[in-house]
Amino acid sequence: MKQILSLNVNGDDYQIAAYPSQTLLDVLRDDLRLTGTKRSCGTGTCGMCTVIIDKKAVLSCLTLAVECEGKTITTIEGISNPDGTLHPIQKSFVENGAVQCGFCSPGIIMTAKALLDKNPSPDEKDIKEALAGTICRCTGHFKTVEAVQKAVPNIHKESGNDSEEK
Amino acid sequence: MLRLPKFKHLKPASLKETLDAFDENCQKAQVLAGGTDLLVNMKHCLYKPDVIISLNSLSELSYITEAPDGSIQIGAGTNLTDLTENPLILKKVPALKEAASAVASWHIRNMATLGGNLCLNTRCWYFNQSVSWRKTREICYRLGGNLCHALPGSKRCHAINSSDTAPMLMALDAVLVLKKKGHERQLPIQQFYRDNGAAPNMLDPGELLTEIQLPKTVNTGKTAFIKMSKRKGIDFAAGTLAACLKKNSNDKVFLRLVLGSMHSAPLFLKKAEQVINESGLTKGSIEAAATSARTELGTLTNLFTSAGYKRELVPALVKRALTSIMNQK
Amino acid sequence: MTAKKNNYGVVGKPQPKLDAPLKVTGRSEFTDDIRLPGMLHGKIIRSPIAHGKIRSINTSRAEKLPGVKAVITHQDTNGLMVGPDQMLLCDETVKYIGDEVAAVAAIDEDTAFEAAELIRVKYEPLPALLTLEQAAKKDAPILHQYYEDNFADERTTVLGDPDAAFEKADHIRIDEFTSSPNHNCFAELHIAVADFSRPDKLTIWSPTQSAILFQKALAQNLGLSEGNVRVCNLNTGGAFSGRVSAKPHHYIAALLSRKAGRPVKIMADADEEFIICRSAGRNKYRIKTGFMNDGTVKVIEADFLHDCGAYVEEQFVLLLLAECALHLLYKIEALRYQGRLVYTNNIPYVYHHGGGMSPVQFALGQHLDRIAQDLKMDPVKLQLKNAVDKGYTTINDTHYASCGLTECINKVSRKSGWKRKYNRLPPYCGIGIGCGVMSSGGKGMWMHDTSAAFIKLSEDGKASLFTGLPDMGQGSHTTMAMIAAETLGIATDDITVVSGDTDIAPFDVGAFSQRGTFTTGNAVKNACLDARKQLAKTASEKFNVKTSQLVFFGRKVFPKGKPDKAISFEDIVFDTLHCAEGRFVMGRGFYNSPTDKPALSYSFGAQIAEVEVDPETGEVKLLKMTVAHDVGRAINPLAVEGQLDGQVFSGIGQILYEECCMENGQILNPSRLDYALPRPFEIPQIERIIVETHDPYGPFGAKEVAEGPMVTTAQTIANAVSNAIGHPIDEIPITPERILKLLKQKKQELS
Repeated sequence: MKQILSLNVNGDDYQIAAYPSQTLLDVLRDDLRLTGTKRSCGTGTCGMCTVIIDKKAVLSCLTLAVECEGKTITTIEGISNPDGTLHPIQKSFVENGAVQCGFCSPGIIMTAKALLDKNPSPDEKDIKEALAGTICRCTGHFKTVEAVQKAVPNIHKESGNDSEEK
Repeated sequence: MLRLPKFKHLKPASLKETLDAFDENCQKAQVLAGGTDLLVNMKHCLYKPDVIISLNSLSELSYITEAPDGSIQIGAGTNLTDLTENPLILKKVPALKEAASAVASWHIRNMATLGGNLCLNTRCWYFNQSVSWRKTREICYRLGGNLCHALPGSKRCHAINSSDTAPMLMALDAVLVLKKKGHERQLPIQQFYRDNGAAPNMLDPGELLTEIQLPKTVNTGKTAFIKMSKRKGIDFAAGTLAACLKKNSNDKVFLRLVLGSMHSAPLFLKKAEQVINESGLTKGSIEAAATSARTELGTLTNLFTSAGYKRELVPALVKRALTSIMNQK
Repeated sequence: MTAKKNNYGVVGKPQPKLDAPLKVTGRSEFTDDIRLPGMLHGKIIRSPIAHGKIRSINTSRAEKLPGVKAVITHQDTNGLMVGPDQMLLCDETVKYIGDEVAAVAAIDEDTAFEAAELIRVKYEPLPALLTLEQAAKKDAPILHQYYEDNFADERTTVLGDPDAAFEKADHIRIDEFTSSPNHNCFAELHIAVADFSRPDKLTIWSPTQSAILFQKALAQNLGLSEGNVRVCNLNTGGAFSGRVSAKPHHYIAALLSRKAGRPVKIMADADEEFIICRSAGRNKYRIKTGFMNDGTVKVIEADFLHDCGAYVEEQFVLLLLAECALHLLYKIEALRYQGRLVYTNNIPYVYHHGGGMSPVQFALGQHLDRIAQDLKMDPVKLQLKNAVDKGYTTINDTHYASCGLTECINKVSRKSGWKRKYNRLPPYCGIGIGCGVMSSGGKGMWMHDTSAAFIKLSEDGKASLFTGLPDMGQGSHTTMAMIAAETLGIATDDITVVSGDTDIAPFDVGAFSQRGTFTTGNAVKNACLDARKQLAKTASEKFNVKTSQLVFFGRKVFPKGKPDKAISFEDIVFDTLHCAEGRFVMGRGFYNSPTDKPALSYSFGAQIAEVEVDPETGEVKLLKMTVAHDVGRAINPLAVEGQLDGQVFSGIGQILYEECCMENGQILNPSRLDYALPRPFEIPQIERIIVETHDPYGPFGAKEVAEGPMVTTAQTIANAVSNAIGHPIDEIPITPERILKLLKQKKQELS
């Protein structure tokens, strides 16, 4: 039997009727039509379904929608600036050639965002540790790691920490 | 796409309610914490519980505290990422931090719990597959059949315990608190696991792991945790080795050496331990312990990597763990 | 690393992908994002046995399940064959684990899954042939009843006089190699959405490398005229040689849709993906070489056995590509080649990324490396001794109008510090070199080789470029936009690329055989030259000069030497459109490489790998890759870098990590976890060197970079590992277990 869930996604409150067996990924894509978060392995090994829940990068394919009430959910559609300009991480991915087929990009960008929100000055090891849960067949992760590194100073800029600029 | 079978979802607000619900439904219920193990297995229709009891509202299972006597208590519902960042753990049990940091990927650790990792279902590539994949073979012990594909002719399931935290906690002499409705018990973690892939631990029906206790002496030894896997930051281990070396007041060495991810339960390498306990920690005794470890592995499967390669790995794991301890100040 | 400076306005400057902003905001549409009214979900029922007879198929229970709208078996397919020997849905026999037997369409995925479980198929198992050796034996049971043996195809080629060359050789060396089954493993799982609700019109949405080939095959096999088959390719989430042709699930989705009268979506499950997408099998390579004391390689004799799997699809191409790989790289005087495809009861294997040539070039590269060891010769010197160069004509009359192989070898050698490292590294550290070649704008593999393009200009000076070339992530659309912008003298941002719909896009065979930059690029250039000619008429009247005296640059048009007189491009377009004649500015162009050879141009590369091997565990740590590739001209250096990265990554995977572990014809590790793609910690430091040799045939001198680097990586790493452990490598992937076995073997050999 479906139950009514209250979900907060990208700052908006939704009422969704969903089965307990529906994953957050199902609900985001099928009910809310937020199709930026992608379906791939379904078993938590590729990272393409990554969203941020209460500041943590999690796999929406292994998260039940019913478990998400009262939480703050952010998807790829929710991180650009209100005026439509790109988040520094998104911008860095575009400018540094870290996007090829783009299927894995939302998952990797959300992973990077969760990382940089938590640790604004990660070293290469931290970045690789975070991205190890994702797959990028096209770039081989050479440029995704680079793009995250190059986004770091702009994260500082956005948060007003100009002194930390490279 | 892989789909979850339908179920009834309960989200009790307290541990008592949880245990009551679990007791009422135990034949047809599973508990859900991080979901990174259970939900995958459910998508493969390996488990089809009628009822899922969520532990995720139970803040009373998520804590890390230090008692006045210096012992440490960790709620089983403690998130793995939170565990690896906890100042107390970093200060007093860095080895646990290392082991917990080695679990799967950052994403998984953001979702998973310590209790979930300790109760991780065993793995086997003849079992952890989809419905259509498994149609190619007869059903195995895990699924109610009479054979083991991993070790044909065997009388039991040989699926592998792949928990990264279990070997470390065994080396640290952790004690587990297990609760079910109207009953609580404490069990040393060394007695929690069974070398049987189909029934890998001692949880009774309706029973929940609620707390992991570390003795006050947990930081008095030197520890090492080595994980070998094909890739870093994502894989289950090909083998793990957890070591804890203590000395008593007479300078007598007492070593715990636990091998993980090669059998259905973590394995104490007792012969190797004995070599070090008798000879102390030297380059020579480390070599001898490594050689000895090879002889106490029993039957190994070719699951995920060949038995022959696993046998080669074990001495390397032992040497690295013990050398690391030897080099610690 | 940047490409050389040039006088172009756009070409040669790093350009972020035009569609990247959509991709990083999640607004790019992929096939799984589509929802059509009344859309059903399909599920395929597959054989659980490798070989057997079908005794009965009972679909009655499934048909009765509420929510099921169509069930099909072979009886619904009119005997449809999707290959010369492959029925779409099996009627009498099944020939591999995963062979398609039936399918259902239902209102949701859960119902489709439930219905699939209700279909009962009874099989009578037959003995299966699962290895090359079993299937190739003289008295082996015949898998396809109309054939005399299990050889699906054979190609034999003799060039020059091999026997004479072997006679003259100072030395002869024979080596044998084995490669393992693997998988393309791209991000977007296989998926098709088909709307065949009208009997005369099929629309199908699918990721693809070639919408045209999909269209042709679907039309032919479903009895439709091509114009009534519309293939829509929204975006493609990776392809890597795995999406060239329509696969059974495309047809099945269409037939389910026909029967149900509603659109049907079929999406692979994660493990089903390993069955649907055929990659490479367990192949065997035997190479015999005659060479001289000074390192000159005179003659190659090769005998290759490829596991075809149960059915032939496009595997015959492998035999041609393998032959080419043997004689295109080095100045040999003779070749004797035999390549054979062998039927087995395995999944039909086609090719992994690189057209399946990674294992072939691994074999050749390792073999050459051993020759260097035999002669105690520096492998770099051996490569330089034998490398082809500009102006050279090979023994099969392939002529190189451009060739940067020597430059690549010298550059990687210098950059990596080869001289001070080779045979001077600490124990278990190694360095190795590998070289590769890849056709640019390959042709002759399908019936049609043309690429066409249109460009339409609007009053504001912006352009719409129509192309049938898919962009699977390689940045082909951006590259085409850059070519168009350069030709018209405007900015890349002024171009919108319109693609992904066979009803709209002009003909293009597709993005495979390294056609994109070279063939479609030339077509785009020709289309833009056509448009420019139309604008030039207006401009020449305005300036009162001949059209040949006009310059189109920087969004302006001016007579040569008089930029101060410039008129904006936008104004020229406007005036053209609004002239008294009322003209319309649209350029059209096409290109078909004017050669009867497999290609007109070739890209070349050299790479050096540095590794560290753990002798206790066999683990290989790849420390650094120095990569040089002759791309003719880097239209978009940012995209070229991306290609170098991605292909080196793919090569790393194929040589060190990726393997489908097979047992009785079944993959034991069909998951994104257990099938080990390298992840961030496994990638080495990379040094990228773009070499530009300005090919006279490519657009602005460009050649391919779509697969050339990848096929060079495999032997490079193998040679480095071999150098580190002091023992040849004859099987890939080079797993830790195999390393330990080789180290043991070496110990025994030494004692």
